[in-house]
Amino acid sequence: MAEPVRLRLVLPQVARAELIAGDAVEDLGQRVGFPRDTLAEVKLAVVEACLNALEYGAGDVVVELAAHPDSAYPWIEAAVVDHGPGFDPGEQPRPVLETKLHARRKRGWGLELIRRLMDEVEITSRPGLTRIHMIRRTGGA
Amino acid sequence: METFELSIAQRQGELAVLEVAGYINNEGGEAIAREAGTLLDAGCRTLLLDLHATRIINSIGISLLLEVLERTIEVKGTLAFCCLTPSIAKTFQIMGLAQYTRIFPDRASALAELAQVR
Repeated sequence: MAEPVRLRLVLPQVARAELIAGDAVEDLGQRVGFPRDTLAEVKLAVVEACLNALEYGAGDVVVELAAHPDSAYPWIEAAVVDHGPGFDPGEQPRPVLETKLHARRKRGWGLELIRRLMDEVEITSRPGLTRIHMIRRTGGA
Repeated sequence: METFELSIAQRQGELAVLEVAGYINNEGGEAIAREAGTLLDAGCRTLLLDLHATRIINSIGISLLLEVLERTIEVKGTLAFCCLTPSIAKTFQIMGLAQYTRIFPDRASALAELAQVR
């Protein structure tokens, strides 16, 4: 079995830093033959996890990517780590469009998109360390 | 490709077509919301956003598109999109946007349909 292609990034504190991680997802995915449309979904999920980390976290935001070139069914895993105050993922309300349309605050779609675009999502969070680990397989989600 | 650009590609009566290119984040979303607000204030009632050159919209950009949608609903107008990439179409489907907007595969079919609406 071929070894996964791995990449570790520390996001710089610059505008649109999340796209650096997103572009890396595209690059890695293409190397293992991940379908382009599926890759775009993984890219968005990783971008969303990075946005959360950059906005609510503290210290370095670290992104770990691995593209697994397993036979005809390559898969990608990504982890985004920050050192902010943490949050309880179970307490985040799922967004409902009808409610959001009339609400003053229309944000809050990030986690929902991550969960719906990826096959497996594991969020571990405590003060000082939040890690969102995601997996997407070809043909999944 | 990710550099944001916005232009009014067509303005005909109550219909306006906005061509959007690049990454729709907070800045891009705000630019769209501003332009859409100006058009609605000027009497436009159908806004078509052509996203053929947009490959990614983040959740902040999405929330700003919801502001445009809210504004459009307030004036009893129509917000429409065309030329979505499969991942943007999936994002819109996850959000349930098709319930409140019109979504078309290309600009020609959008204009043909929307011309009949008004």
